[in-house]
Amino acid sequence: MKNGIWKFGTKEVVYGAIGAALYGVLSWATNYLALPAAGNISLRPAVAIPMFFGVAFGPIVGFIAGAVGNVLGDFMSGWGFWWHWDLGNGLMGLIPGLMAASVVSFKARPTIVKAVIYSIVAAAVGMLVPSLLEIPLSGLDLNTALVGYWFPAFLSNAINGAILVPILMVAYDAVSSRSGR
Amino acid sequence: MLVTWKYRNRGKFLDTLDPRARWITSFLVLFSIIQFWDIRFMLFFFVLAMTQYFMTGLKWSETKRVWMFVTLLVVVIVGLNALLSGRGGPGEVLQSTEHIIWETNFTIPLVNWDFHPNITVNKLAFALTQIIRMLSSAVLFFIIPWTLDPRLYGVTFGGMGIPYRFAFSMDLAFRFVPSLARDFGITLDAQRARGYEIEKLEGGIFQMIRRVAPLIVPIVMNSIINGEDITNAMDLRCFGLEKRTWIEKLTYRRRDYAWIGFGAAIFVASLILNYGFNVGEFWVPEFMYLLAK
Repeated sequence: MKNGIWKFGTKEVVYGAIGAALYGVLSWATNYLALPAAGNISLRPAVAIPMFFGVAFGPIVGFIAGAVGNVLGDFMSGWGFWWHWDLGNGLMGLIPGLMAASVVSFKARPTIVKAVIYSIVAAAVGMLVPSLLEIPLSGLDLNTALVGYWFPAFLSNAINGAILVPILMVAYDAVSSRSGR
Repeated sequence: MLVTWKYRNRGKFLDTLDPRARWITSFLVLFSIIQFWDIRFMLFFFVLAMTQYFMTGLKWSETKRVWMFVTLLVVVIVGLNALLSGRGGPGEVLQSTEHIIWETNFTIPLVNWDFHPNITVNKLAFALTQIIRMLSSAVLFFIIPWTLDPRLYGVTFGGMGIPYRFAFSMDLAFRFVPSLARDFGITLDAQRARGYEIEKLEGGIFQMIRRVAPLIVPIVMNSIINGEDITNAMDLRCFGLEKRTWIEKLTYRRRDYAWIGFGAAIFVASLILNYGFNVGEFWVPEFMYLLAK
């Protein structure tokens, strides 16, 4: 199918919304449970959700899950509204979605390795865009944007994604075979 | 675990505006702010943002958390910027070593790295400008969760030219939140009854992340299975075949045009001042030079 991964039908509308709501609720809830964190790395395991939704349902679903989910999470936790970080979170779901067309089995080792690589790249690129937007917005220079914003965000998201995306994929493998679509 | 939205109709002028007008004006003002580096202009925008903040009628107890977060962020980032500042960008002014207010020297033992941290008049003025600039753009936007009705997000973004399906998905996400939060509470209780300990401190960081899996896997898989039914229900009602309307309807009124006009006037004036008259560059008040040694 031409442009198969960019299809935006009913299924994508629903799963985008579910991904976003899950990402929002879980980032709010894990925040609320105050998971222990080491040093500078805040534990936000929910970032694996938009990445996983990207891998499972394509880039548009991943983007909605990340962007809208981050809006929801911030709304519930009372952090306000940060549009450029919402955009970055959207990219974090979109990039793993680019491999969605090539997935045959969610359990296959090469697919899982590929998903982990895509998730790490997604964390790098997704967090780079808002960090760079901070340069004109907050008047930072490149060093501060990279050390102050990009690196901690990238590291924490990449670790969370690399651990949890494979777990979600293996679990989803059993569910996806039940689906009639 | 119950989720409540922060929004409440407070009966203020801002609550009567069309959300689209609010968004458009906020972005127009943001794009005006980023054109300037003069602290006098920044103060004008800060007053503007604070005026909007006070117009919302929000109480300190409601926004305490976000104020603390924003303040910490601004202090840490401005501090880092002063330490790390490299070449290029607006930070160029920090390269100057004239008008020193305070300086010191120290050497890191063992590796013998010399550091000469200093505070110059330029650095101090830049940091002040930057603090006000970051605060202005943060205050402009962080009031949104408290002052825009979550029921209206779909129709607002749909009305601003975002594709219908995307806007609908956003609307749906807001609706799913309360039921997913309930599922989360149930799953957490069920797993705890089986002896699951999420708060356990043992193990490294990787162990801690893995420990979240028994919590998120059931919730995610359950919602994916339920999503199937929702998709079928929507398909049976011919979702997306023809252009659809929204339950809530938004119409621009005179006050909305006035609000957008105000934002547009500020944006145009900023463009003219910045590109026509070349004002708004970084500026240091004269009296600050008196601080230098």
